Amino acid sequence: MREGRRGTVPDAGAAAAAGPAAGRAVGRRGVRRERGPGAGFDGLRAAGRAARAEWTKLRTVPGTWWLLLAVAAVTAAVGAGAVSGLSTAHCPPAGCREDVVRTSLSGVWAGQAAVAVFASLAVTAEYGTGTIRTTLTAVPARLRVLAAKAAVVGAAVLVAGGAGAWGALLAGRALVPVGFAPYDLGAGPVLRAGFGSALYLALVALLALGVGTALRDTAGSVAACLAVLYASPLVAGMLSDPEWVERLQRYGPASAGLAVQSTVGTDGLPIGPWAGLGVLAAWAAAALAAGGAVLRSRDA
Amino acid sequence: MAASEATIEVRDLRKHFGPVAAVDGLSFTVVPGQVTGFVGPNGAGKSTTMRIVLGLDAPDAGSALIGGLPYGALRRPLQHVGAALDAAAVHPGRRGRDHLLWLAHSHGLPAGRVDELLEQVGLAGAGRRRAGGYSLGMRQRLGIAAALLGDPPVLLFDEPVNGLDPEGIRWIRGFLRRLAAQGRAVLVSSHLMSELEDTADHLVVIGRGRLVADTPVAALLAAASDSRVALQTGARERAMTVLSAAGATVAATGRESLTVAGLPAERVAELLGAEAVPFSGLAAHRASLEEAYMELTRGEAEFAAVPEGEGPR
Repeated sequence: MREGRRGTVPDAGAAAAAGPAAGRAVGRRGVRRERGPGAGFDGLRAAGRAARAEWTKLRTVPGTWWLLLAVAAVTAAVGAGAVSGLSTAHCPPAGCREDVVRTSLSGVWAGQAAVAVFASLAVTAEYGTGTIRTTLTAVPARLRVLAAKAAVVGAAVLVAGGAGAWGALLAGRALVPVGFAPYDLGAGPVLRAGFGSALYLALVALLALGVGTALRDTAGSVAACLAVLYASPLVAGMLSDPEWVERLQRYGPASAGLAVQSTVGTDGLPIGPWAGLGVLAAWAAAALAAGGAVLRSRDA
Repeated sequence: MAASEATIEVRDLRKHFGPVAAVDGLSFTVVPGQVTGFVGPNGAGKSTTMRIVLGLDAPDAGSALIGGLPYGALRRPLQHVGAALDAAAVHPGRRGRDHLLWLAHSHGLPAGRVDELLEQVGLAGAGRRRAGGYSLGMRQRLGIAAALLGDPPVLLFDEPVNGLDPEGIRWIRGFLRRLAAQGRAVLVSSHLMSELEDTADHLVVIGRGRLVADTPVAALLAAASDSRVALQTGARERAMTVLSAAGATVAATGRESLTVAGLPAERVAELLGAEAVPFSGLAAHRASLEEAYMELTRGEAEFAAVPEGEGPR
């Protein structure tokens, strides 16, 4: 209780008098709270406890492991399949200019669906089962809950996505058909494409987590994420105005983010590899901000 | 566990869901060392009040403080307040022990504490099973274990005996009594007054979000039993005639039993003796908690028909 009392200063004047050195937090619906000296360290420890609780929560449902396995397996298998299906029949006489690395990593396109389901469920299952109330009574700082979820869900997908991407690159290199240039796994662009794909999937996870937190419903969240991820290329295919097509490729979360996989003709892309991943990061940040706003303002 | 910290203070609390006032200017205090029953029909605002106390719902006006602080200001809240709101609120795929484990991890509590509590609530053998396979009684026990994890001085239970078998009900009653005897403040909601018989020391009765009564159980029972006499007689019609003529209000409660209000027992015996009406039993009537409750809420019969927990969240 001693700790708790320090956490509240009912008088706003006293809060101001404490000076800028003391971190200040505005609680739910404008209740101003003042943290005393050492609050930064306390806050860090509290964040650590919240993250540990979220990790325990995540690892103790079987669905987590099945979905993470699906992310890795689908990403690797679809990529390997795409590479082995490459044919020289359509190559120009000068030789094949195919981006084989990107083809190897094309499974990410399918794996992101499993990521959307996994990350949505990490929060929507809590609303479905009602455990969100238990969560928020244990950790009343709501943004801390969201941050903890983002950390563990993002990290889990980063590892599973990384396994899938590197599995795909290994398989792809082994399966490259005759007539295509094999690639060196240690080459800069290949490393960027591999780790970038893992980051891409982690960012998709954060996007889905934000959408799930805002919508509080598994089906709605998964549908919204799949629409955002898969619709922009489909719509681009239907548009006739090349300017709009390019805009969609530049700002659509999936098409922009996947630019990180390019290793051939990167200069001719609508958006650069890292800039593209940055666009996806902005989408994820916007979704998390929306989710955080809903989580803070709405009754649980 | 200082006594002053083990309180719940609700002051002028208001909460609307659309046009419906779920809680409408409610004030009461829950003190340590006793079981406080929180009673009202479904939709009276009990669950909403409890959610506000726990910081889950934001009130439109008023305050709900625990040991003088709003819930959100508590550091390590599970060590101040334990709550079991909805027994069904567990992930069916998670083992019972793991449900307690993540809660323990949120407060840096060791796994040993989890096993201790599983033992305490009688789930030691079922902790490794997935909660989806638990009976309602087992889920209630798991919820109670979760509430007690941080050894808090304040406890809230929302309808903890709902759906339990008689054995489970007896167990929970004993458990609540023990928690109060340890000096904790225990708030238990129920829509059935009879469930709180022999459990609650104090009652907070609400209807349509407003306070109906805030009273010790003993005082309520005394008031409801006041100057009423239970009479056993084979000559029911004659006894009713005689006693009504003397100004008493007489109600038949069985084929051979009557309840007499407005006359003391000695006067009833005297009158019946004078008119030679035979009777086999005569005793001061002891009201049940349910009767006392009916008496209390007679004027509140028209409760809003919004089922508890179905409001927007």
